[in-house]
Amino acid sequence: MNCIKKKVKEEIERGCIGSNLNCPYYPSHFFGQDCTFCYCPFYPCEDTTFGKFINSKRGKKIWDCSDCLFIHRSEVVKFVMDHLRAGIDCDDDKVKEIFQEAKKRFWRRGKAFMVLGATSDAGKSVTVAAICRILHRKGLIVSPFKSQNMSLNSMVTRTGSEIAMIQTLQAQAAGLKNTDFHMNPILMKPKGDTVSEVIVDGEHFADYDVTAYYNEFVPGPGKDTVKRSVDFLLGRYDVVVMEGAGSPAEINIYDCDIANMKAAEIANANCILVVNAEWGGSFAYALGTVELIPENDRKRIKGIVINNVRGDPEKMRSGANEIEKILGIPVIGIIPHVDVKLPSEDSESFRNSRIVGDGSVRIVVVKFPRISNFTDLDPLSLEDATIVFAECPEEFEGADVIVLPGTKNTISDLEWMKNSGIASKIISMKGKVPIIGICGGYQMMGSTLLDPNGIEEKIFTKVDGLGFFDNITTWKDGNKCVRRDRGTIVTTGGLITGYEIHSGVTEVNEKPLFNIEKLGKNDPEGSVRENEMLFGTYLHGVFETVDSRRYFLSFVKGAKIGRGVDYFQFVDESLDKLADAFEKSLDVDKMMDIIGVLR
Amino acid sequence: MKVLFLGTSSGAGKTTIVAMYCRYLSRNGISVAPFKASNLSFRSCRTDNGEIGIGQAFQALASGIRPEVDMNPILLKPLGDGKIQLLLKGVPDRIISNKDPLDIQMATTEACKAFDRLSVKYEAVVCEGSGSPAEINLRDRDIANIGMMRERNIPAVLIGDIERGGVFAALYGTWKLIPENQRGLLKGFIINRFRGDLTILDSGITRIEELTDMKCLGILPYVNLSFPEEDSLSNRHKLESDEKYIKNLDSMIDKAERSGFDFRTLEKIAKE
Repeated sequence: MNCIKKKVKEEIERGCIGSNLNCPYYPSHFFGQDCTFCYCPFYPCEDTTFGKFINSKRGKKIWDCSDCLFIHRSEVVKFVMDHLRAGIDCDDDKVKEIFQEAKKRFWRRGKAFMVLGATSDAGKSVTVAAICRILHRKGLIVSPFKSQNMSLNSMVTRTGSEIAMIQTLQAQAAGLKNTDFHMNPILMKPKGDTVSEVIVDGEHFADYDVTAYYNEFVPGPGKDTVKRSVDFLLGRYDVVVMEGAGSPAEINIYDCDIANMKAAEIANANCILVVNAEWGGSFAYALGTVELIPENDRKRIKGIVINNVRGDPEKMRSGANEIEKILGIPVIGIIPHVDVKLPSEDSESFRNSRIVGDGSVRIVVVKFPRISNFTDLDPLSLEDATIVFAECPEEFEGADVIVLPGTKNTISDLEWMKNSGIASKIISMKGKVPIIGICGGYQMMGSTLLDPNGIEEKIFTKVDGLGFFDNITTWKDGNKCVRRDRGTIVTTGGLITGYEIHSGVTEVNEKPLFNIEKLGKNDPEGSVRENEMLFGTYLHGVFETVDSRRYFLSFVKGAKIGRGVDYFQFVDESLDKLADAFEKSLDVDKMMDIIGVLR
Repeated sequence: MKVLFLGTSSGAGKTTIVAMYCRYLSRNGISVAPFKASNLSFRSCRTDNGEIGIGQAFQALASGIRPEVDMNPILLKPLGDGKIQLLLKGVPDRIISNKDPLDIQMATTEACKAFDRLSVKYEAVVCEGSGSPAEINLRDRDIANIGMMRERNIPAVLIGDIERGGVFAALYGTWKLIPENQRGLLKGFIINRFRGDLTILDSGITRIEELTDMKCLGILPYVNLSFPEEDSLSNRHKLESDEKYIKNLDSMIDKAERSGFDFRTLEKIAKE
């Protein structure tokens, strides 16, 4: 404690410094944060609005406020500075008094605002991302939120929790450094046609089929979870931009739906409805959605956005006017189709196209029936590459690189790959082109896979892998490895980052591909046989660093060596372009009124 | 007999369901022709007397007859840059654009004439709408949907795509945006591309039937078709042989019958 007090004293003597752009840890929370108080003068405030007690490693109770943003608000910093300066050595009671006064003046429960979609793929996620960025650029502290997400594209938070990838992207749009499981407290990962693994608060909770999910989970733990997370976020952020799921007007399951109007009610959120114009019928979708929602909930819908309009948006105006008249709800934006490359949420995006880019290196990815984290491939589109998601052996003809991506059901998808003829095609290409396996794809590259207890899906006593590596993967128990990694490529020393989400454990009898930094030590990770151009790793996001892409592409004959574009930067610029496009066509003032924040 | 299949959006499955119903009727010994008044499509097919949209060519195959231009009298081929080539009765007529738009009255007249000729020649004409019939900003320019309903009093069945979600909203919203004096022609609806447990939909279906007076004819399962859908959204399917196509339709019909698809009510609607 005395140590902290000393640091605080130094901070006060130094005065306000605003954002500390030179700090290697900047931003610890969000871009634009005030870094004056790296050590909080109020610690430990013991106010549960801002933190909680946790058990330390030694079993002692300690105050954890690592996700509090209050002291990084510049108005709070200024107030504290003005009052503490007067008496640098002021006693604890005085500090408490100042804390109470600061809370009274500057702490407000945030505003919740929800983006509903008339269909899945209406453009909700992108709209949320755009709005997050617009509000962030206005200087507001913003968080994304989606109560329940069904997706096989997930990511790992700072504290090792699993949430949907798309909320991570939206958090980046909001200028946040970290994600939190509260941003997506319920994640459903389909593992069969009707069963899903349900992740709650970032951790495995249970498997449910559709009926049990709606009848048991939703009314019980589901509702409480949403409430807890909404409260957490509203206590910390100015605005929580919530995303609905699917359509809010599924009248056959209306009462069991906690992803849409129920969440809006819990958060007391005003809503806007987004309709995708691309497929036609957008006015009918808008009208039908609003009118099928029961009146009490309908009142929350304060605006309609017609999204993804190709051709002249003004042509939609007369229809928009008519809809406004019928519903009494303004159309606050007619947004043209925006051509930015952003990670896409789910396999719905495969409906239109399975080919990305038109560069000279042909990267063929096995499109497993249960493909997961296929956004791993996105950074490769920064290179001179064409990415093909292939479902039959013929599509592997002329491949320069083969990628076996992640999958929710490794062994079932391995069997599918053998039956489809893809496995033997890939085996025939071994040694001719680089073959890279990620997570489930890496497990398949080994000699043997065993799931004696049916942990992942069903019992498989012993299944032959592709035999590229002398590795054995076993699913022993439900223990899941969920963590973020940072390290180096063994042979080049290049930087590598990524994250792991897997329950199988691999006994590795190969040279490691990476060294992962772990508590000051190096942990070997993955497998490599460079002479046969075989690479395997558990790391999702493995292609995000420039060094990584440079390394893998160096094995492709004639390929230009990596363009050196930073992926984070690229995504960030795309988010700015997206926000620019929305700002142009969206009545932002009107939206601010609906959100309920002062312009 | 005449019936018009409308979709709540493009890609709702109109083309395939029209083909399926053509095949169903021809299998039952009824002479049938497909018809789509106007078609906006890159892809066309040559017939003995001119070009028509490829969808109608496939539907003719399903009907067991040779395709002809009356099945798609207005074909609009996008040329890019806002320019569209108009093919009238299968023959290139002129280039239309924003400045020089299609003469809707002329086109409607031609469409009606073609429809009348088919009605004389065949016992049944199964019509396909275009896009959504509820594009209220384009209401005055609609030919294939409410245009044909108005001109020839054709009873209609609305197809909703459940795969994207929001199907009840789409069905209800589309119904509500059809001009009141024509709404009565909307007799039934179909839920297309369903996966999963049918019973979960019951309460929603009942509600839509009550609200709109349309009858639910059935729920069709998701099928991965091995022939081209006619719109420009999905272009990865390759043209397959005729027999395989007919076999596919037959299996769709069988599956539909097994799932309780109400062909009898559909027939009643078409005979009204």
